[in-house]
Amino acid sequence: MLQTDSEKEAIPLLQVENLSQQHQGVTVLRQVSLLAQRGQLTVITGPSGGGKSTLLRLLNRLDEPSAGRVLLEEVDTRSLPPMQLRCRVAMMLQRPTMFAGSVLENLQSSYRLRREPLPTADSAEIQRILTLCGIDNELLPRAADRLSIGQQQRVSLARALLTAPQILLLDEPTSALDRPSADRLGDLLKRLCHELGLTVMMVSHDLRLAERIADQLLFLCAGEIVERGGAEILRQPVSEQLRQFLADPQLHRSQEAQP
Amino acid sequence: MIDLTLLDLALVYGLVLLAAALVRLRGGEIRGLLIAALRMGLQLFAVGYLLHLIFALESAAPVLLVLLLMGGMAVHTVAGRIKEKMPHFYKVVGSAMLVGCGGGTIYFCVLVIGPDPWYDPRYLIPLSGMIIGNAMTGASLAAERLAQEIRARRDEVETALCLGATARQASLPAVRSALNAALIPSVNAMAAMGIVFLPGMMTGQILSGTEPMIAVKYQIAIMCVITGSVAVTSVLILQQGYRSYFSRYDQLQLPEKAE
Repeated sequence: MLQTDSEKEAIPLLQVENLSQQHQGVTVLRQVSLLAQRGQLTVITGPSGGGKSTLLRLLNRLDEPSAGRVLLEEVDTRSLPPMQLRCRVAMMLQRPTMFAGSVLENLQSSYRLRREPLPTADSAEIQRILTLCGIDNELLPRAADRLSIGQQQRVSLARALLTAPQILLLDEPTSALDRPSADRLGDLLKRLCHELGLTVMMVSHDLRLAERIADQLLFLCAGEIVERGGAEILRQPVSEQLRQFLADPQLHRSQEAQP
Repeated sequence: MIDLTLLDLALVYGLVLLAAALVRLRGGEIRGLLIAALRMGLQLFAVGYLLHLIFALESAAPVLLVLLLMGGMAVHTVAGRIKEKMPHFYKVVGSAMLVGCGGGTIYFCVLVIGPDPWYDPRYLIPLSGMIIGNAMTGASLAAERLAQEIRARRDEVETALCLGATARQASLPAVRSALNAALIPSVNAMAAMGIVFLPGMMTGQILSGTEPMIAVKYQIAIMCVITGSVAVTSVLILQQGYRSYFSRYDQLQLPEKAE
C-alpha cells in the first residue's frame, strides 16, 4: 500500500499503548500510553524511581515489557529485528560510555558494527556531525575516554546520530553538565527536532530546561503518567503529585546545577 | 627405582608431625594440616591401587572410564569454584571440556606418541590427567572472568546494543578479555619453565630413570598440548557462555547477584 507524504505525516511516528513493566513482582510501569510526532521534543520528568528510565529502555527494546506494545510508524516494534529497531530508535544512556580508541573510531563504531566502509575524518558525514554537535576537529585523534564528561556527551550524541535515527532517546543527558552546557545541549536537541525533523524523547529532572525546550511534557510518577501537556502544566499543575514535585527543589533541578 | 618401605613413609610423615609441632608452638591450628596429610596418604594409596588394577587389566574400557571420571570430577570442581554460574553451566562446561581435553588427549597420546596398545594407561592416564587439570583451571578462569567482565562492562555492552550491535558484537571485548585470562597460567608456565622451576612431569621422569633429554622433550610436548587444550576448552565455553547473558532479542540480562 502506497501512502502519500501527507498521509504519512498524519500517522504518529511513535505510539505507545498500555505499556506495563514488572520487575520481581513490583510494578514499575503501569499502562502507559503516549504519542510522539515527527520533529517533536518530549521531556519525561518525575521523581526518581517513577519508571522514567524503564519507559525509555522499552522504547528501543533494551528491555522487554510485561504487557502493552510500542508502534513505530504503525508497525509493532516486536516485528522488527532488534538491531534495526535500535538504529531507528537511538538511545544515549545516562553515563556517556566511550569505547576504547580515538574519538574518530568511536564515531565510526556503528559503521563498523554494520560492516560498512568507515567514513574518514574529512568525509562529509563526519564533518557535518562534528559541526552539528559542536565537536572540534582536533579531538578526532584523541583517546575518547580521556575527554571531559561534556565532550564525551557530545561524542556520544554524534555517535548515536550517525546511525541516522528517526527517534533519539536520552536518559538524563544534562545531569552531569553545568548550566551553560546543559542549555547548549538543550538548544542543540531543539534544533535537531525542528530543523532536521528528528523526534527526541528525553528523561530529565531539569525543569527549567524542560520548560524552555519541550513541545510535550510528561509527568511520570509511580509508574503512571499523571499529567501531560505543554510547558503550562508546570505553571498550573492539576495533580497533587506534580504540585508536591514542583514544591520540593530536592526532587528536581530548576535553578542551580547539581554538583 | 628404589622402593620406599612403610618405615620410610613413617619417617617422612615425621616431618609433617614436626610441621604440626612448630605450628602448635606458635599457637596455630593444626587440625586442618593433620587431616590434609592423612587424606593425602589415603587418597593416593587408593588411586595407586586403582592404577595398579587398571594396568593389570590390559583393556581399553577401564582406562576410558577413568578418563571420563577425571573429566567429570574436573567439571564438578569448576562448578564449585565459580560463584556466578552461567545458565546451562554443566552442559556448556562439560561439552567444552570433553572436546578440548578429549581432542588434546587423542591428538597427543594416540596420534603423536602412538603407544602400543593405543590405550596404554602408562601414557594415557598421567598425560590426560595433566591436560584435564590445566583445562579445568582455564575453564574456571574463562567462565568467572566472563561473568565479571559482562557485569563491569554493562554500560559498554548496552551502548553497543543501542548502536545496533548484535549480542555477539557487544560482548566481544568481554569475551576477548576472558580468553586472555584463561591462557595466562599456561603462558606464564611456559615462559618460566626451566628457569624458575623444574616442571613436575620432567622431574618425575628423571627420577624414574628416563634420559633427561627425553624427559625435556616430553615436557615441551605436554606444555604445547596443554596450551592448545586450554584454548579450545575456553573458546568453546566463551562461545556458548556469552549468549547466555542475552535474551533472544539481544537484550542484556544479568542474573541477580547472589549474596
